[in-house]
Amino acid sequence: MLKKFTLKNYKNFKDEISIDFEDTAGYQFSTDCITDETISKMLIYGRNATGKTNLGKAFVDICTAIFGGRPYVDTGVFLNADSIDQMAIFSYEFRFEDNELVYRYARFSNQELKDEELRINGKVIFCCDFENNKFDFKNLEYINAETASIDRYLQSIDMGDLGLQEPKLPFLRWLISNVALSNDSVLIKLANYVRRMLMITAGNAILRMPRRTNDSFYELLEGSNRLKDLEDFLNEMGIECKLVLQKLPDGQRELYFGHEKLVPFYETASSGTLALVDLYRRLIPKSWAPSFIYLDEFDAFYHYEMAEKVVNFFKRRYPKCQIIMTSHNTNLMTNRLMRPDCLFILSKAGTLTALCNATERELREGHNLEKMYISGEFDKYE
Amino acid sequence: MNSYRGEVRKRSQNLLIVEGHHEKNRLFWLIIKCFPEININMDEIWIYGTNIYQLYNDIVKEYGEEWAEENEDIDLPFVISKKQYPDKLRYKEDFTNIVLVFDYERHDTNFSEEKILEMQRCFVDAADMGRLYINYPMIESYQHLCRLPDDDFAERKIPVSLQPGKEYKALVERETILGAQVDFPHRIDDMLEKHFGVSDAEKREKCCNEILEISSVNSMENAIENALQGVVAERVLPTVKYQLADWVTKQGYVHTNLTYWKYIRGVLKQVIFHNISKANRIQYGQYQIPENRYKEYFERLDLTEILKIQNLASKDSIMGFIWVLNTCIYFIAEYNFKLVMD
Repeated sequence: MLKKFTLKNYKNFKDEISIDFEDTAGYQFSTDCITDETISKMLIYGRNATGKTNLGKAFVDICTAIFGGRPYVDTGVFLNADSIDQMAIFSYEFRFEDNELVYRYARFSNQELKDEELRINGKVIFCCDFENNKFDFKNLEYINAETASIDRYLQSIDMGDLGLQEPKLPFLRWLISNVALSNDSVLIKLANYVRRMLMITAGNAILRMPRRTNDSFYELLEGSNRLKDLEDFLNEMGIECKLVLQKLPDGQRELYFGHEKLVPFYETASSGTLALVDLYRRLIPKSWAPSFIYLDEFDAFYHYEMAEKVVNFFKRRYPKCQIIMTSHNTNLMTNRLMRPDCLFILSKAGTLTALCNATERELREGHNLEKMYISGEFDKYE
Repeated sequence: MNSYRGEVRKRSQNLLIVEGHHEKNRLFWLIIKCFPEININMDEIWIYGTNIYQLYNDIVKEYGEEWAEENEDIDLPFVISKKQYPDKLRYKEDFTNIVLVFDYERHDTNFSEEKILEMQRCFVDAADMGRLYINYPMIESYQHLCRLPDDDFAERKIPVSLQPGKEYKALVERETILGAQVDFPHRIDDMLEKHFGVSDAEKREKCCNEILEISSVNSMENAIENALQGVVAERVLPTVKYQLADWVTKQGYVHTNLTYWKYIRGVLKQVIFHNISKANRIQYGQYQIPENRYKEYFERLDLTEILKIQNLASKDSIMGFIWVLNTCIYFIAEYNFKLVMD
């Protein structure tokens, strides 16, 4: 599990911001927000333009670091625009059973790594300073990777311009893909976790999906009971409808609402329905369970009751998955569903504070958190 | 000025609904001074004077007779502003604390067991609809300790026939050991104003604050002199200085290297402990509480149950009695019990 994430000088986060998933306050209610003493369901509020989406992008930056490929963030300014620092720093602390793993790296830009360091149980396994060409691989045997052919790695970064997509290939990525590690290796666990990290931005769902995405989704819906499953999901979340999938004469498939006459789904579905189906498409049919999901503005188009149902659905379906949701829907700011150590406020100044730390008042189960938020109880941290 | 600007919301307000008595404002003033962690700005407190039955009628007027049974979401800032300033309505969404403090006026011609019980049952959360604290028999009960600690407080009660108001106040004045301590800031203020003609309230306040911040005997006279510079006339300064040095010394707290506020903070904590023990005595029959379990015992208390017991005990107009108990001091403990335990 991800224990702690620290970020500095990335986009609007000029100063260091860190999210400690182990900082819980021992509440005896809404215990399903906590898994193995770690926050597993988190809800972040914040005024517009405080960086809720940027924070999500930062979280999943490690996916690009470890697996390469197109980063989630491929547009816009990378470094903080008010800072003179030349790099952004990312630090991820994980716990896999008894092992504590810290992966820290700094980037000059989206593409260019400045340095990286891996620590396991306090021991530095390796550190690479690409800027000054200083490399230290002193403790590779600690992770049974002493057979790694360091020379070949160093060669490959020297030949950066020979077809390598990134000028500086992170050693961790190279290690994971080039060294035979045993299945119980902590690096494999790390790779497994990071591979299953997702960021979903609901706001985009309203844009019509490209035809091709639809096709693969329709193909999936043809599987046995799949359409029924989607229908059940929609009905359960509060959208009563009947769905029909038809194959047209030209071989294309099309999704319809089943009325007396068939009504084309994507042309007529409401924003809320589209957002919900998009969520379903991205999440449910996956053959693997996500480890981490950043759901940005997940309920932007939902009725308040549906938002609550979706949160409860996540709790039931993904009890172990670390889910961070952002929202403007203060109706979800309640101890019935969440708890003061899992509800956060992101401020303009770039600080993230749990409600229980945002007031001197001792927050109890009976407190009306939504009303308190609105009346300014936490205003010093907004 | 930006032409897009509309009306700006003013949040983080506080509403104190009391019977319009100076003494109550004094107690809350002291609480806020001694417990700065309680995030209340003195300038953002609204004080509304009324009595509990008048307020009850105002609620009925807005929400109907059945408001309590139907668990209506009562908006007191709205009810009050509608009556007082109908063209400038306020709503509870702008208020972080709403506190109602009333005396248990058994002899009031409007007294109604049902109404007062409904109020006590419905107003339970200062951060939401509001929190009602009823003091038995009246606010002055927080000073009704004869020594510290005062084990006789366990059985302290007054006959119903002792008409509160003047008589109870006189009784407390005779018996209290806290009165002089609590009054101290006001005594300094009075002296500066009435004897030495300092008419500028702001100047007086600043001077008082500086004197009350003194926490060491050695630097006391200097500090007092500095505080008085430019406040009182040069020729009377030595007189005032020695007078004040004498007063501060007699209060005793400087010898323990505490400021007045820190010292009174400790005293208020004592008052809270006494009243938690007393409430436990009333509700569960046990006065002594193990020192490390105050919080647990405090959380078991139910002000509605205590009100029922008081109602029963005071029913008979000759034989009846009222347990002396101050509940508004619980505001601190309910805000955060850590403030009481540090």
